[in-house]
This record gives sequence, C-alpha cells and structure tokens, in this order.
Amino acid sequence: MSFDLNLIAESLPLMLMGIGITFKLLIVSGFLGLILAICLLLMRISGRWFLNFPAQVYIYVFRGTPILVQIFIIYYGLPQFEAVRDSIFWPILREPTGCAILALTLNTGAYVSEILRGGVLGVSKGVLEAGSALGMSARQNFIYLTAPIATRLALPAYSNDVISLLKSTALASTITIADMTGIARTIVADTYAPYEIFISLAIVYMIFTFGIQKLFGVIERYLGRYMEREG
Amino acid sequence: MDVLTGWWDDYFWGAIVVGQVFMCSLGLMIIFGLLGAMAKLSNSRVAQKIAGAYTVIFRGTPEILVILLLYFGSAITLTAIAQIFNPEIKFVDVPPFWAGTIAISIIVGSYATETFRGAFLGVNPGSIEAARALGMSNLQTFIYVRIPEMWRLALPPFGNHMLSLIKDTALISIIGLNETMFVAKQAITVTGKPFTMYIVVGAIYLGFSTIITLVVMGIEKFGERTTIGAK
Amino acid sequence: MSTADAQPLIQMQGVNKFFGKFQALKNINLEVRKGERIVVCGPSGSGKSTMIRCINRLEEHNDGHIVIGGKELTDQIEDINAVRREVGMVFQSFNLFPHMTIVKNLMLAQQLVRKISKTKARETAMHYLERVKIPEQANKYPIALSGGQQQRVAIARALCMKPEIMLFDEPTSALDPEMINEVLEVMVDLAKEGMTMICVTHEMGFARSVADRVIFMDKGEIVEEAPPTEFFENPRSERTKNFLSQILSH
Ligand SMILES: Nc1ncnc2c1ncn2[C@@H]1O[C@H](COP(=O)(O)OP(=O)(O)OP(=O)(O)O)[C@@H](O)[C@H]1O
Ligand SMILES: [Mg+2]
Repeated sequence: MSFDLNLIAESLPLMLMGIGITFKLLIVSGFLGLILAICLLLMRISGRWFLNFPAQVYIYVFRGTPILVQIFIIYYGLPQFEAVRDSIFWPILREPTGCAILALTLNTGAYVSEILRGGVLGVSKGVLEAGSALGMSARQNFIYLTAPIATRLALPAYSNDVISLLKSTALASTITIADMTGIARTIVADTYAPYEIFISLAIVYMIFTFGIQKLFGVIERYLGRYMEREG
Repeated sequence: MDVLTGWWDDYFWGAIVVGQVFMCSLGLMIIFGLLGAMAKLSNSRVAQKIAGAYTVIFRGTPEILVILLLYFGSAITLTAIAQIFNPEIKFVDVPPFWAGTIAISIIVGSYATETFRGAFLGVNPGSIEAARALGMSNLQTFIYVRIPEMWRLALPPFGNHMLSLIKDTALISIIGLNETMFVAKQAITVTGKPFTMYIVVGAIYLGFSTIITLVVMGIEKFGERTTIGAK
Repeated sequence: MSTADAQPLIQMQGVNKFFGKFQALKNINLEVRKGERIVVCGPSGSGKSTMIRCINRLEEHNDGHIVIGGKELTDQIEDINAVRREVGMVFQSFNLFPHMTIVKNLMLAQQLVRKISKTKARETAMHYLERVKIPEQANKYPIALSGGQQQRVAIARALCMKPEIMLFDEPTSALDPEMINEVLEVMVDLAKEGMTMICVTHEMGFARSVADRVIFMDKGEIVEEAPPTEFFENPRSERTKNFLSQILSH
C-alpha cells in the first residue's frame, strides 16, 4: 500500500462538491440554533418556574444524549407517526437535509443557551445596580447592559460551539446526505483508500475550523475593544 | 410498550457494551491527555510541536472521520500485512470495539490535554513555595499540594470530557459495534417502530449522562469538604 | 419644591430589614431635609450600605415607611422609578458600564430614562465631565481610567440625571490614597452647592468639614446622631467612643 497522490487530486474536487451542503447545514442550523438558544435563555432567566423548568429539561435531554441518536430519532423515528406524515412539516421531515438541520438546530440550541447563560451570569451585579439606580427598567438593563456585555463574554465559548457544529454536520452522512463526508465515504467504498480520502478531507475540515477561529478572533477583538487598556 | 417485549435484554447487553467502551476509553483518554499535557509543558520543542499538532488535528476533525479512518485504515493495513504471510486471507480488522475506543479516547484526549495543562499551570505557585518552606520534599509537595489542587481545577472540565466520551460511543455503531444503536436497528427491522426503538437508546444514554453528572457532583462536594476541612 | 421645607426630603420611620433570619436594620428612624449633608459611619457589617440602598430600593425594607420627596416606597414600580430618578447613587466599586465610552456612560440613562435627545444628553454629559475635571477622557473606555477618574465619572453620571439627592456608599475606600482627595474635592464642591447628600464614609476630615450631622451605626441600629463637633468631641455612647478611637488611631 502506498499514499496515492493522484487519487487525492481526483477525489478532492468531488468531495468539495459537498461543501455547499456542509455550509448550508452549518449556517442554517447555526442561525436557527442561535435563535432557539436565545429563547431558551430568556426562559431560563425569566424567574418563572413554568418557563424555566421546561427549558431546563430540554437542555438536560439534548445535552445528555448523543447527537447521532437525535438525528436518527428525527429522521427514522418521526415517520412512525401518521400525524407527522400528515402534517404540514412533512415536506421538511421527509427530506434528510430537513431532518439534519432540525436535529442540529435542536442540539446546538441547547448547548448555546448554556453558553449564553454563562455570559449573563458573568455580568457584574454592580453594573446592573448602577443601571437600576439611574432609573433604568429591568428591560432596559437587559438590552443595554446585560446583552452586550454577556455577548462579549460568551463569544470564545460560542466559537468553540460553532466548530463543534461544523464537526457534527459530518454526521449528516449517516442519513444518506451527500455532504463532504458523505461523498468521501462513497469514494472510500469504491476505492478502498481510506487514508488518502479521509486524511485529505480532515485537512479540509481543519482549514474551515481555522477559518472559523480567525473570524471569531476578529469579532472578539472588535467587540472587546473596551477590555484593552490602550482603548 | 408491548413492542419492546423481548428486546430489553438486547438493550441491556448493548448498554453493557457502551459501559465497557466508556471505561476503556476513559483510561486511555486520561493517558493521552496526560501525555499531551506533559509534552506541552516539557522543554523539548519537538514534543511541544507534536502535542500542538495533536490538539489542533483532533479538535478540527469530525469525530466520525477519525473513527472511520482508524477502523478502515487499520483494516487495510492489517490485511495487507497479513497477505504477505498468507495470500488467502481476505480481510483482517481491528475489532470495532477497540478501533472505536481508541478513536474516541484520542479525540477527547486532545481536549483533556488542555484541561490537564491548564490545571497544572493553575496551581498557585505560592502554595508550592509554602510547602517547600515547610520542609516538604519534592515528592511530598507533588502528592499533597500539587495533585489535590490540580484535581480541583481539572474536575469540572474533566466531567465534560467524560460526557463527551459517553456520547461519542454512539458513533462507534457506524463501524458495526454491537451496542444500543445497533440493537435498535435490529429491533426496527423486526417491529417497524423506529421512534420507540431509538427513544430507548436516548433514554439509556440519558441515564449514563445522569450517572456521570451525579458522580462528578459527588466528587466535587467531597473535594470541597476535604479542602474546607484542611483549612 | 415648596413642600420641601415643611416636609423632610427623606423620611425613614421604623424601618426593619431582614436577610433571611438575620436582621440587618433595626427600627431605623431618619429624617433628612433638603440641602442637608449627612455622614454615616460605623463598623463593617453594621448596615450602612443596607440603609442607603433601601433609600433607592436596591434593597426592599420589610417594615416601616420610607418616603422620598413625598413618595412612599412601595411595590409600585412607577413609584420606585420616580424615586430612583430623583436619587443619584455612587458605589464603592464605581460600576461604570465597561462596554461604553465615558461620554456614553453619562448619556445612556439620560436618553432612556429622562428621554432627552442625543445632542442634549451629550451636552449635559460634557458639562458634568468638565465639572469633575476630566472632559479629555470622554471618548475612552472606563478600563483606561484610574480609579479616582472612574469614580469622578460615576459621580458625573449620577449628576447628569439632575437628582435631588445623592447617596455615596464608601466612594473612596476602593481607591489608592493619592486618588482619594480628587474624589473628595468633587464631593465637597457638591456639598457647597447645596446638594442633599448622604455619605457612608470613614473620611473623618470630610465629615468634620462638610457634614451637618454624623450618624453612627452599629449592629443594624442608629446608635448616635449629632453635629460633627459634638460627635467627635463629645460622643455619648461607649460604642461610638470605641469606634472613634479605633478609626482615629490609624
Ligand atoms: N444580600 C445579602 N444577603 C444576606 N446578608 C446580607 C446581604 N447584604 C448584606 N447582608 C448582611 O447585612 C449586614 C449589613 O451589611 P451592610 O453591607 O449594610 O454593612 P456595611 O455597614 O455597609 O458594612 P461595610 O462597611 O463592610 O460595607 C452584614 O452582616 C451583611 O452580612
Ligand atoms: Mg457597605
């Protein structure tokens, strides 16, 4: 056996054809997951048990089970019910891509809401008291003080979660989706060349990871200007 | 629940396999993590570079790719080697159990590397000096001062690493490990109830996660008590 | 306020405050007229912060009445906000908004609470920054300022709301010694202009030169209340004497 560079040169373009799907999964579920996370966060910090408790259970369940199981429950599991098959969501749930996006959204939403909550808890009590003492309402405190400060505090952990999400998109290949990993698996099945294919694909993912880190580094520095003494 | 009759024992044995993978990978993960941390903290530039590459590679590559690469790569290599001795042999592989266990412990070990490194650096140099000043030997200082303090710092992220491990075991079903996901698949072909069968898998994992969380919480409580007692 | 002379600006009657079972304030009675300057002192944990934090409802009192400028503090959120608009507060740890420049720190509440236009708010902000003598820092972030400068910004931020009353909770005790005076100077100026002030502080020089009355608290009670000369020359209670001997021997 040898490391076949020609094979890489031939396969890489094929795998990169899956880039669109990989990005679609990443961006759509990243965006929807963020919205879900904000809703869960607001429920968590609402101070009302009937909002807080369900959110807590949701987070506990989705963080306590493997994402692969969640994907399978949605893709293979939901069609078990006739109500699902008759519902208006069926066009989405019938498609593997729709299911993958739904599963990734539900999963990342649970993780990100905890990250955001960490940011909220990190906002100093004194700053909020100063806002109240100036006559600002709880809502104004949240919008103008808590939200921006918490966002900056949560950003490093959030960027790690985006990277986790990128890696999770590869699981879409388990439900027949032809993302980069899905294509790679097909090629390996044909060529019996796992080293060449999987390693070159791993490098592609690493480049994306690196890009995400750089992007968030820039955002962190921009939003964190106020943390630098020279500012 | 009727459809589950007859499958409980299969799920039970599947869960045992999950537990076994977890225990083995936990040990390996600690070893990889400690090796990585030692390399990063060592004076050797080469060791630092290798450990740096280790963390970058496995944090940037989807878990499923690592598992597939390790399993199919090793199988192809082993088969090639075996054919040198006996051309009749068609296929030799590392059992999925071990390929998967090693893969997930390498992955999570790359995260543990940072945890252990951080814990080591986080030890207050003052306590070490104080111990020296009290006439404790290097070994005594290490055992009575450094280890307990490292342990306290590392425990919360270490708990998260254990949760990652248990959830990553689900991925090993992709290379054919006979665990709960695999049981569910068999059960589905017989009963045609995918939702029910995968929900059981989710519940089993939630159980494992809960146990791990409770154990970590218990250890944290215990640690707090002993450190408070020691003060 | 025409009624102000007839009625005290701040009235606390029989105020009790509990944290769980622990009683932090015991039967507090205090009246402050417009333009009066009160200094509150006492050992750590005696309830000084709790008392002034009750005045703008950062803490809720359990019994008794607190009436500020004719408005009683109850659960009514409108009343609380109305009181908070009239009461400025300065904290030990400055509590500037870290993510906003100095001038934005001063503008935010003006715009949100007083509904003042952006240009007007900026004008007011610059006016007060000049009064605390740091207009040149307007576009920096708080972290770039020294402690003394930050505390002066915090005072200016409170003043921008044109409060009737200013509360100070140990405004100088987190500062390095060389910065204490720059903050005290600002406070003395305010006092000279006739601002109604309650200051928790252990700066006895400030108390002597500025206060109309000094209040000594211990274990949640007001133990002694007297004009500064009397308070320092001739303390009546044993507890006050003990406290003063400790503080002044430093
Ligand atoms: N949020 C709270 N929960 C429970 N107890 C509290 C709380 N805030 C204050 N206390 C207690 O109430 C008592 C009075 O506290 P307070 O902060 O008013 O004291 P202080 O006189 O301002 O002291 P210091 O000089 O240290 O600032 C203290 O014993 C304190 O432990
Ligand atoms: Mg205090």
